[in-house]
Amino acid sequence: MRLSTHVAALCAGLLVSYHAVAAELPQRWVSAGGALSEWVCALGGESKLVGVDTTSQHPQTLKALPSIGYQRQLSAEGILSLRPQILIGTEEMGPPPVLSQVRSAGVQVELFSAQPDLPTLQANLQHLGKLLGAQDRASQLLQGYQQQLEQQKVRVTRAQLQEKSPGVLMLLGHAGGKPLIAGKDTAADWLLQKAGGHNLAAHSGYKPFSVESLVSLDPDVLVFADRALTGDAARAALFKENPILSSTRAARDGRVIELDPTLLVGGLGPRLPDALKSLSEGFFPGSAGQ
Amino acid sequence: MTILVKPRALFIGLSLLCLLAVWLSLALGPVSLPLFDTLRAALRLIGLPIAADGLEQAELILGQIRLPRTLLGLAVGGVLALSGVAMQGLFRNPLADPGLVGVSSGAALGAAIAIVGGSIFGGLPEAFGPYLLSLCAFIGGLGVTALVYRLGRRNGQTHVATMLLAGIALTALAGSAVGLFTYLADDATLRTLTFWNLGSLNGASYARLWPLLLITAGVALWLPRRAKALNALLLGESEAGHLGIDVERLKRELVFCTALGVGAAVAAAGMIGFVGLVVPHLVRLLAGPDHRVLLPASVLAGGSLLLFADLVARLALAPAELPIGIVTAFIGAPFFLYLLLRGRA
Repeated sequence: MRLSTHVAALCAGLLVSYHAVAAELPQRWVSAGGALSEWVCALGGESKLVGVDTTSQHPQTLKALPSIGYQRQLSAEGILSLRPQILIGTEEMGPPPVLSQVRSAGVQVELFSAQPDLPTLQANLQHLGKLLGAQDRASQLLQGYQQQLEQQKVRVTRAQLQEKSPGVLMLLGHAGGKPLIAGKDTAADWLLQKAGGHNLAAHSGYKPFSVESLVSLDPDVLVFADRALTGDAARAALFKENPILSSTRAARDGRVIELDPTLLVGGLGPRLPDALKSLSEGFFPGSAGQ
Repeated sequence: MTILVKPRALFIGLSLLCLLAVWLSLALGPVSLPLFDTLRAALRLIGLPIAADGLEQAELILGQIRLPRTLLGLAVGGVLALSGVAMQGLFRNPLADPGLVGVSSGAALGAAIAIVGGSIFGGLPEAFGPYLLSLCAFIGGLGVTALVYRLGRRNGQTHVATMLLAGIALTALAGSAVGLFTYLADDATLRTLTFWNLGSLNGASYARLWPLLLITAGVALWLPRRAKALNALLLGESEAGHLGIDVERLKRELVFCTALGVGAAVAAAGMIGFVGLVVPHLVRLLAGPDHRVLLPASVLAGGSLLLFADLVARLALAPAELPIGIVTAFIGAPFFLYLLLRGRA
């Protein structure tokens, strides 16, 4: 009898404390960071989001939420008017005085790293999982993600045994006009490498290129990301605005691949493994489907 | 030029307008506060003993967000308008703008160095970091203006026309340097640079406010003392000299006040165009070219205009925010065209 009362009390205590923890979890979220918003949705927290920044474009339903503007140019009162309990963002979020104003209004401000590597992603996901009360889901997602990247590595190594890594240029443009070329130290470069390609551009950052040097590098594959157009319209615009591109080997062989430019901001997002897979299928056509 | 409004009526009108702008700027925002709460919180901030029940949020928003922002808007608008009057008086040209002596382009260069090269200065003490951008912009504005002034001097005389051309040349030079930094910048710093160039009163804090308020007060108290000399300068340099005015000293003071005032304003809020150009015109249209009226009236009108522009900036797209430079240029540019074309009709 005594024992069972103790057990009952313990159970009740645990239950109460569990509920207390659940009640303390923030219920109204504002997210400033594309990849972070995607992860919040993937962790089942989309219904808790009350506002997102302009870099949060996926999933499409986020576009219906109030926009708090660009992540580096947030407005304290604008965010507070959404009555959030938590504001999440990457270290790019700012300006700093606005963050401290938001903090002093009693809103929890959580910063995440946008570093594109797995340890960072692991830490971010665990942190998000805890804040959303979805730790199990977070570790599941992480495990799946790691597996997919592992498979990707195997796929690329196997393909590279059979075929030469293609020389790739990655073009980032707006309706085809004057594309910027992705060099070293960019998210695009990281993507190309992980997909098994060899980035021909040796500069750092995204820089405009003269068409001559573009042709002289003679890429095997062109990857393009267009901020304004998608699909065939983007492809047509690219070649219409830069006719010289048609003389590259990539164009002659029809190896021109489209990439969603939103993949290039805010660190590792949940759509990345699929994008890598389709990129490397384009890079190694002979090994596709293996 | 005809005088539409008597000076006293103008000052009463502008003071009321300014009070209205301040009140709206404190009372309106993306967070809607009940009017009564705003009033009580405002009274509490002044120091009246009013119960704090349920006022925490109103007090925070009023005291920490809207009040510093309103003060910043008043100071920036006022000092930009004053500098506009000073420059139009110095160049004896109603189309002159504080940017002519290179202060804006110099500040832009300073800001570009701070934003793009900021990581190089990474070893600076922690307390210094947040103010690096403002300091660099201020120093850049002052430096380029000093250079323009030096280039305009020959045989102990300041040649206004040479100074104007030197200002244009150095503005172009600073512009190309900013372009180079733009090229070197990565995506994130590029965005910061772009937004800085559009100006914003967002994130105003008291620590950044005090230096600007002091400088604005200094300039606003000093320039009106020189109103008579500026009036005499309207007649021409030699005429002003014959009237017993030390023209060289006056020019030096005008350039110095402009560099200081615009430098501080730009350092605190980024580039905000058209206020320095349009406000003196507006006041001149209403009350004529007498600097004794023009100078103090421009302070009130500049402050009010910027506060109204800021209201649009923060309410139009709430909860996001427009850079205020977009709003002032949107109001300013058509007005400028109207001024240009009005004379032709």
